[in-house]
Amino acid sequence: MKVLVVLDNIKYIPDVHGFIERAGLVDATLVAVSNVDVDDGFDRVYKVGDVSSDILVKLGADVDGFDLYLAPHSKKCIEALSFYAGSKGIPIVTEVVDYSEEEGRIFRNILSGRGLVSYKFVTPMAITVASGKFKGSISRSPEVVERDVTPASRLIATEEKKFGGVDIENADIVVGVGRGFKAKEDLDMAFELAKILGGEVGCSRPIAADYHWLDEDRWIGISGKKIRGKLYIAIGISGAPQHIMAANDVKVIVAINKDKNAPIFEYTDYGVVADLYQFLPVFLERLKSKLGV
Amino acid sequence: MDVGVIVKAALDVNVLRSDPSGRISIESIPLVISEYDRNAIYEGAKICEVTGGKLYIYSVLTWGPMERKLKDFENVIREALALGGEEAFTVVDKAINSSEPMYTSEILAKLISKYGSPKLILAGEASTDMTSSTLAPYLAAKLGYNVATFVKELKLGNGSIEVLRDADDRMERLSLQLPAVVSVTGEINTPRLPTLIQIRRAFRKPLHKFTLADLELSPIISRYEDYKVVTVKRKNIIIEDESIEAVADKLIDHLIQEGVVKR
Repeated sequence: MKVLVVLDNIKYIPDVHGFIERAGLVDATLVAVSNVDVDDGFDRVYKVGDVSSDILVKLGADVDGFDLYLAPHSKKCIEALSFYAGSKGIPIVTEVVDYSEEEGRIFRNILSGRGLVSYKFVTPMAITVASGKFKGSISRSPEVVERDVTPASRLIATEEKKFGGVDIENADIVVGVGRGFKAKEDLDMAFELAKILGGEVGCSRPIAADYHWLDEDRWIGISGKKIRGKLYIAIGISGAPQHIMAANDVKVIVAINKDKNAPIFEYTDYGVVADLYQFLPVFLERLKSKLGV
Repeated sequence: MDVGVIVKAALDVNVLRSDPSGRISIESIPLVISEYDRNAIYEGAKICEVTGGKLYIYSVLTWGPMERKLKDFENVIREALALGGEEAFTVVDKAINSSEPMYTSEILAKLISKYGSPKLILAGEASTDMTSSTLAPYLAAKLGYNVATFVKELKLGNGSIEVLRDADDRMERLSLQLPAVVSVTGEINTPRLPTLIQIRRAFRKPLHKFTLADLELSPIISRYEDYKVVTVKRKNIIIEDESIEAVADKLIDHLIQEGVVKR
């Protein structure tokens, strides 16, 4: 067996190694294509200018004929892997969350996380591995080969995203805010709630992407962050599918929304149908007295 | 410059139906336009307005059975035409039973090459039902086009485009030669709702339906998929009481009972 791994960040290596271990492929030849330095975990590393668009096609014989093409579920890796799979007619399955040895199948979530689809694990196949679902570590000293190739899409400039240094992905408790809040100052109520509970504040797409009230690292969604803690309290969030999918791994979900028909209530354990401006001050008051803070 | 937009009639994620064995009953879930396709259509319409080109809609009915899904599919395509499409080329065939990008791209590549072949093809960053984000790059490879995905700004150059793409922890400004397939995010624009006149006009715009045979393609039967409902069920308890105070107290009690809030 030969496994080709595409990487644009070394933080994803435990995810791909975890999948390789679960799929019983630790004896396979492991080759990586990466635009960042990789000094462990592979037999060979092709260092390239960038990982996106047609980079794998350009590498040609270096990467052709592998049994499995593996990558983390990062945006540039999805692009590079899908383009290569398309050029070769190889099936591709993204954001794989589980592997079953008995069934010989891989699994991914669909329909906002309410459905699961399994695919026969065949070769050759291209797979992106969901973040945080597999954890593994394989140690090997790679032979590093520099390849002077760059993708067809030419990089002109990079722009930093505005981040506040908040890690909602690994927070136990997240308080989510949405369009139900009428002004930025009103988010203070959510921050107070998060503080009392020892959690972080997250938000829906419009709050980060349209209003820019909060930084993008607080955005819960398939284009933002995924949360998987023990409690999520969604306030004034109607529940777009992309938002719900990113919160689906949380153990207990609570929603507070004045519209009793908001889709979010279908995905919650406890729902409160109320105007957040009336409910939150009371909830904060009662919570403080009950918890003695 | 003519522009093509890939539109998907996606399973409505708010209407999940399953059989007693826990299988998703795809045949009884209605289809709706995939959310970010609206952004792609609006962006395409803007480009066509400036350049005087024609906006083509391309779509494949991927969910069966065909007879039960046809009405929803046509409504989705009419919506795409109301949003700015001028002419729609679609493939509807009983022998398509898979939403896998591998098969869908093959059909779309044939359809696009045969009808219109615009040099710029737009798609949504992901479909609302499957969210795989693979279709745009997979299709680009099939067509021999360049690709850029997760794009939130698009500028037309001379035989090229400049895009701002999301690269997770940063943004990248890229230049690529046409022809190209570009997937766009929800932030690229705010699509206008179609007016009544636009909706009425959409019914007079050409909507072509082809079969696989028309495109000289064989039946597409997936060898891979098996759909199930995720067993994680939510409790769906709506907390009600006479006063807000009582509701707040009940919610706090539930959270303490669940062990997620510590006294």
